Amino acid sequence: MRLELRGITKRFGTLTANDHIDLTVEPGQIHCLLGENGAGKSTLMNVVFGLLHPDEGEILIDDVPQRFANSGDAVRRGIGMVHQHFMLVPVFSVAENVVLGFEPTRRLGRLDHARAREEIRHTSQQFNLEVDPDAIVENLPVGLQQRVEILKALNHDAELLILDEPTAVLTPQEIDALMAIMRSLAASGKSILFISHKLKEVRAVSDVVTVIRQGRVIDQVPPTTDESTLASLMVGRDVSLTVAKDVAAPGAPVLELDDVVVRDDRGLAAVDHVSLQVHAGEILALAGVQGNGQTELVEAIAGMRPVESGRITLGGRDITGATPRAALDSGLGHIPEDRHRYGVVMSLSVADNLVLNAPRRAPFAAHGSRNLAAVRDNAEDLVGRFDIRTTSVQAPLSSLSGGNQQKVIVARELSRPLEVLVASQPTRGLDVGSIEYVHRQIVEQRNEGLAVLIVSSELDEVMALGDRIAVMHAGQITGVVDPSTSRERIGLLMAGATGADHE
Amino acid sequence: MNTVSRLRTRGIGAFMVLLGLVTALGFGLVSGSSARSSLTFNPVDLSASAPVHVGTLTLPTVIANVVLGLLMVALGVELLVRVPRRGVMARFGAVALLFFLALLLWAVRTTGPAPINFVNVTAVLVGASALTMVLIFGSLSGVLCERAGVVNIAIEGQFIGGAFIGSMVASTTHDFFFAAVAGGAVGGLLGLVLAFLSLRYLSDQIIVGVVLVTMLSGLSSYLNLQVLTPFPQYNTGNLAPNLPIPLLTKIPVLGPVLFDQTGFFYLMILLVAGVSYALFQTRWGLRVRAVGEHPQAAATVGIKVVGVRYANVILGGVVAGLGGVAFMASQGQFQPGYTSGLGYIALAALIFGRWRPSGAVVASIIFGLSLYLSYNLQTFQVPVSTEVLGMVPYLITIAVVSGLIGRVRPPAADGVPYRRD
Repeated sequence: MRLELRGITKRFGTLTANDHIDLTVEPGQIHCLLGENGAGKSTLMNVVFGLLHPDEGEILIDDVPQRFANSGDAVRRGIGMVHQHFMLVPVFSVAENVVLGFEPTRRLGRLDHARAREEIRHTSQQFNLEVDPDAIVENLPVGLQQRVEILKALNHDAELLILDEPTAVLTPQEIDALMAIMRSLAASGKSILFISHKLKEVRAVSDVVTVIRQGRVIDQVPPTTDESTLASLMVGRDVSLTVAKDVAAPGAPVLELDDVVVRDDRGLAAVDHVSLQVHAGEILALAGVQGNGQTELVEAIAGMRPVESGRITLGGRDITGATPRAALDSGLGHIPEDRHRYGVVMSLSVADNLVLNAPRRAPFAAHGSRNLAAVRDNAEDLVGRFDIRTTSVQAPLSSLSGGNQQKVIVARELSRPLEVLVASQPTRGLDVGSIEYVHRQIVEQRNEGLAVLIVSSELDEVMALGDRIAVMHAGQITGVVDPSTSRERIGLLMAGATGADHE
Repeated sequence: MNTVSRLRTRGIGAFMVLLGLVTALGFGLVSGSSARSSLTFNPVDLSASAPVHVGTLTLPTVIANVVLGLLMVALGVELLVRVPRRGVMARFGAVALLFFLALLLWAVRTTGPAPINFVNVTAVLVGASALTMVLIFGSLSGVLCERAGVVNIAIEGQFIGGAFIGSMVASTTHDFFFAAVAGGAVGGLLGLVLAFLSLRYLSDQIIVGVVLVTMLSGLSSYLNLQVLTPFPQYNTGNLAPNLPIPLLTKIPVLGPVLFDQTGFFYLMILLVAGVSYALFQTRWGLRVRAVGEHPQAAATVGIKVVGVRYANVILGGVVAGLGGVAFMASQGQFQPGYTSGLGYIALAALIFGRWRPSGAVVASIIFGLSLYLSYNLQTFQVPVSTEVLGMVPYLITIAVVSGLIGRVRPPAADGVPYRRD
């Protein structure tokens, strides 16, 4: 199928998310759409998939103009989408998910389970995508769930597949498997629109790369273009992709976890007997696919989740089961994973957010009332030092961009004496420029002797920042390795293979 | 997953063991060895449809209740040591019924030479069946709405509306068919209001529901005073006639309970079977459940989420409206406030029944029996306050909702407004 977009424009109020976008995907082609978060990729894909209606422009399939009232129309014309957040009903079986909306039925609307199973078996075999039709989706690993999404699209006779950031939740091995699937689908004549901001993957799998920035098509380049050129096209200026740092000079252990067990919200052991040490002057990067207990581990350290058993000490003091306030008071800096939920209060001012961890303490308060002058002076100082772009320190935090909101948290946490910094997904959702900035701040702190624990599901980030890399899988540490270790090796550890070269 | 469900099942098992011990010790051993309890099974009915005569059963109270208690303990212990593939709730229901039986045996025990007290088991079940039927209508309404992702807390209001209109129509037309049509229409209309406010304007569904109940209870009191009291011909009082099914009514106990009932009762049975089948076996049901679990996923395959929700909330309203008419038909006429929270107990039965029609039936039977007994305990001269038994449905609900006996898992998008785009 040949998909052509002509002058697609989509506005939300005053924001133009897509500005006259032209794009053509040829049959059998893997076409990559490369752009930063907020560049307008997802909006464009939602337009193609019929979830949004363009304000201007046309969508042509095999040179015939199309109008999609909803995504059902798009599916009927042969467009399938694999969403970043899977559109699967967790409690349904694979078969039920795949046939949903296109169910084979017998008399009286009765579902024909046998035929559904048969259809799925047929499609699985045709495209070599094995999966048990009777498995319940929520019990499948993420990689297999994604396979179900692809199967669902193919079962609806999709000729063009849109893959929206498909690698974000996968281990390196699962990413390799996905790329193999993409290549074989393209070889069988399907067209693929691959959305990503990860340069390595784009170069590895695409036939052609279209770069978009701020809603506009910037350029169309071959996948052989080198990474730094792609990055500067994407960001609009030269960026450095590596973090400059000297060899670490680790000191005494500061943060120590000894045989820690933490339960998740369902009562299962999300952290399963984990022991770790973070030394002064080093960055320990905790790698792992999202949802393997990293979140619970960090919450336990920060006093936000009870510790079932084991011990957590900070600078020799026992902080097991401490309240969040006690944990902060003993020298913990915490950049939380979900910054909107735990890091900032969107409706409060920048100045108030900058003292959120110490609102009752001198000099920001005395005798039960706040010292607003001190709060403002502190804010003016930090906004200058950390280059936070805001119209005023009294502006509500919600008026700042995501990158600047994150800078507010970084500034707040780093502006007081710390012994250890725990940063969870510190650059998630940030543009390349802000990532560079946050990384530089973290390395600087480590150079000054701070113990740093970074939790990230981005392997690039883990490898760039970590002085040592601990890999977590299913609540356990499967290995602690040197950053010079190969990506494949770390990938295997992320998938649960235990480390032979465990320190 | 498995650990959690095993924990839940064990919680239920432990609760069953506790009930068994209470039965064996509290109702059994303290009764005194000379106590006797008598059960009869014959309704006071001399018509042609009366069931085959069964004699009176007289048992020593101590032995009967100790045996019942041990049986309950055994059922509970089974859940403590293994997790059956299905039927956990059915086992719990059985234990609850045994508990009520033991309570009755204890209540009517006599130590004199001749039994002066009886429990008429059939009469108790027939009496409770009216309440149970109304609860089943209500919880089926809840199943229809909540499976599609809309919380219908207005069931109580739909009961009131259905009962009020049902009484007026039944009194004027002398035909319960027209009363059912009118009551169902009122319930559906109230469902439409709930759907419109919560789907179009994304209002909080709980608040809209509570507002509807409050409005209906006020409105019905006002209209009762202004219309029904001055014109009593519109609220004449009529019980729906029983439509006995030939032969089947001859079965002892079950005959009068299941096959000598009003049309509403048979309609309820058809609805349970129909909704159960449609929800789990048909394309319609798959789509409804997809909308209630993950509306975005449903929308991406072209299912009209808002349309499905409208249809189900209106349909649920019709079912609850029918429940109101059925209640009125079992009471004879409309009285303000006489639904007294049945709609909320139906919601509790829905939760206890884990959003399944079959579970809602089991829960409604337990709740209906405990309500009936609490209303009628004086008859048996039981030294337990009626309020305590009346609390049973709420206590069980609190235990279920708080996860004490088995955590429940509602549809994932239940009560979550859906925005397109």
